[in-house]
Amino acid sequence: MKRFLALFLAMLMALSLVACGGGGDTQDAGDTGDDTQGAEETASTELNIYMWQQYISDQLVKDFEEANNCTVNISYMSDNADAVTKLTSGGGEEYDLIMTCDAYMESLIAGGYVEKLDLTQVPNSSNINTAYWSAPEYSVPYLGNYIYVVYNTETCPIEITCYNDLIDPALKGQISSIDGARNLFPIALIALGYDPNSEVESEIAEAYEWLVKYNENVVAYGAAEQNLTNGTASVALTYDGNASWAMSELGENNTLAVAPFTDDAVQLGFDLYVMPTGAKHADLAYKFLDYICDPEAMAKNLEEFPYFCPNDAAVAAAPESYRNDPSKNFDYKENVFFQEDVGDALTIYNDYYQKLKVGE
Amino acid sequence: MGKKDACRSQGKTRRQRDLRRRALPALAQAGPVSLWMILFVTLPMLYIIYISFMCRGVCGDVVCEFTTESYATLLDPTYFKVILKSMKVAAFTTVACLVLGYPFAYYIARKPADKAARLIMLIMIPFWTNSLMRLNSWLLLFQTSGPVNNFLQWAGLTDKPIMFVYTDPLVMLGLVTNMLPFAVLPLYSSIEKLQNSLLEASSDLGATPRETFFRITLPLTFPGIFSAVILVFIPSLGIYTVSDMLGGGKVLYIGNIIKNQFGAIRNWPLGAALSVLLLVITGLLIFLYTRFAKLEDMEVV
Repeated sequence: MKRFLALFLAMLMALSLVACGGGGDTQDAGDTGDDTQGAEETASTELNIYMWQQYISDQLVKDFEEANNCTVNISYMSDNADAVTKLTSGGGEEYDLIMTCDAYMESLIAGGYVEKLDLTQVPNSSNINTAYWSAPEYSVPYLGNYIYVVYNTETCPIEITCYNDLIDPALKGQISSIDGARNLFPIALIALGYDPNSEVESEIAEAYEWLVKYNENVVAYGAAEQNLTNGTASVALTYDGNASWAMSELGENNTLAVAPFTDDAVQLGFDLYVMPTGAKHADLAYKFLDYICDPEAMAKNLEEFPYFCPNDAAVAAAPESYRNDPSKNFDYKENVFFQEDVGDALTIYNDYYQKLKVGE
Repeated sequence: MGKKDACRSQGKTRRQRDLRRRALPALAQAGPVSLWMILFVTLPMLYIIYISFMCRGVCGDVVCEFTTESYATLLDPTYFKVILKSMKVAAFTTVACLVLGYPFAYYIARKPADKAARLIMLIMIPFWTNSLMRLNSWLLLFQTSGPVNNFLQWAGLTDKPIMFVYTDPLVMLGLVTNMLPFAVLPLYSSIEKLQNSLLEASSDLGATPRETFFRITLPLTFPGIFSAVILVFIPSLGIYTVSDMLGGGKVLYIGNIIKNQFGAIRNWPLGAALSVLLLVITGLLIFLYTRFAKLEDMEVV
C-alpha cells in the first residue's frame, strides 16, 4: 500500500511538472500563431527591436506607437557581440529590427543573417548622406559615433595633438578610456603609422607594446562622462555623445574641449538597423525605419541623444544646442577611418587584448 | 542451468525486490529534489563541459566538432597568471572576511537570541539592494569630488583630493563588504552551537581565556570556519562586477576573462573550458573540506 502511495505521489509530481511545461508551450505557440496571422492579413501591432540602451528618445518611440497604433518592445544589448549572437542564432524569431555596427555587416550579409531591404518603403531614407551608408541594401544607419580625445583645458598637463601624446608619461593615471580590442588597437596602429584595420600579426604585436604604455596612463576603462566631470580624469578617449553629455553637465564651467588633432584620423562608427532573416513584422519595421529617417522626428531625438547624425536634413532641422555643441567643435571631421571586418585576424586582436588586460 | 546459478539468480531477484522496495519511497522523497538538481545544476554543467570541447566558428558561434583546443589554450602562461592573481585576491578576501567576521559572529552568538536576530538582520539589510547599486555607492562616496574627499579636504587632512577610485584597496573593500555575510552566517551558527559548559569546564580546569579560545572554541568552531572559507573563497574567485566597477576595468580576474569570452570576445568554448577549470578548483576545495570535516557540518550554512 505504502509503495503504491509512493508511486502515486511520484507520478503526481512528475505529472504536475509535465503539465506546467506543456501549458507554457501551448501558450507560446498561440502567441506566435497570432503574430504571423497578423503579419499576413492586416498590419502588425507589435514591433520588437534589439538595440543599445540609452540611445533612442522615449518620446520618439511613443509618438511612433501612437501614429501606428502599435506596441514597440525594445530589448537592450550590452555589447555589439550580443547583437551578432542574436542575428546568427535566428534573430528573426524574436526581433524585427536589430542594431549592429558597420564592422560586422560584411560577414552578416555573407552568412545570410540579414534581410535585403526594400528602400521604396523607406522614402525618408533619401535624407541620409550616402557617404556614411556602408551597406544601403541591407541596413539603415541610425546614429554614428566619433571616438576621439577630449581633454580638460585646465588640468591636462600637456598639449594633445596626436595619439602618441597619449603615451606621454606626464599623463600617468589621467586617461579615462574607451574599452574593447577593436576600439583600442586601431589607435595604436595609427600612432605607429599602420593601417588601423591591419591583419598583420607583427603590426598588431607592436600595437600591443604601444598599448602597454597607454595602459599605464589609463585610470579606468569606461565611465568617461563621470570621470571627466568629477575630475578623476583630465583626458578621455571616448564617444562624441558621451563627451557632449559631460560638457553640458559642466554647463557654464565647461573646461572640456576636443583635442586639436593635426594628422591622425579618428574612428567613426555607425550603428545600423538591420532586419534579421525571417522577421515577423516587416511592415511595421519599414514604417519605423522611415520614421527615424524623418528629419523632424530625428531632430527631436538628437536633442536628447547628441551623437553624430548621418541624416543631413535632420541635422539642419536640429536645435541650436545640437549644431553648436562644443563636442562637435573640431575641424578634422572628414579625417576618419572605419572599423572593417578583419576576419580571422580578430583572434590575434583578442589574444593581445587579453594579454594587455591581464598585465604584468 | 546449474544449481549454483539458480541459487544466485534467486538471490539476485530477491535483492532486486528489496532494492525496489527501498528505492521507490526513496525516489518519491528525493525525486523532486533530484529532478530539480538535474534540471538546474547537472544539465547546465554538462552543457558547459560539452561546449568546452567544441570548436569556435568564424562568427563566434559554437561549431559542433570535437576538439581539445580550448584546454590546450589554458596552458598558456597568461591564464596561469590570471588564475594565480585571482586566487591571491580571493584568498585575501577570505582572510579579511574571517578576521572581521569571526569576532563579529562571536559577539552576536554570545548575545541573547532576540538581540542576535536583530544584529543578523543588520548584516542582511544591505543585501536587499542590488550589489551593483552598492558598488556604485562606494564609487560615489569615494570619487574625486565625492563626500569622503570633500570631508578630508575640509578637515585639512589633505590639500589635494586623494585618488581612491580605481585602486586595489577599493576593490578589496568592495569584495569584503560583498562577501562578509557569507562568512558571518556560518561562523555564527557554529559558534552558537558551542556549549557554555565546555568553556566553563575549561576555565575551571585552570585555562586562561586565551588558552580556552585557542584549544576549545577555535577547534570546535572549525566546521564553521571551513564553510565560511568555502562560501567566501569560491564566489570571490568568480565575481567580476567588483573589479569591473571599482577597479575601472583595468585589472582582469578569472571571472572577467570568462565573461569576456562569452561576451565581447565571443569564444564560448574557451569560456566554457575556463568555467570547467573553476569547477575543478571548486570541486577540489569541497573534496578537501570532506577530508577535514564531516559533510553534515556544512549544514550550518
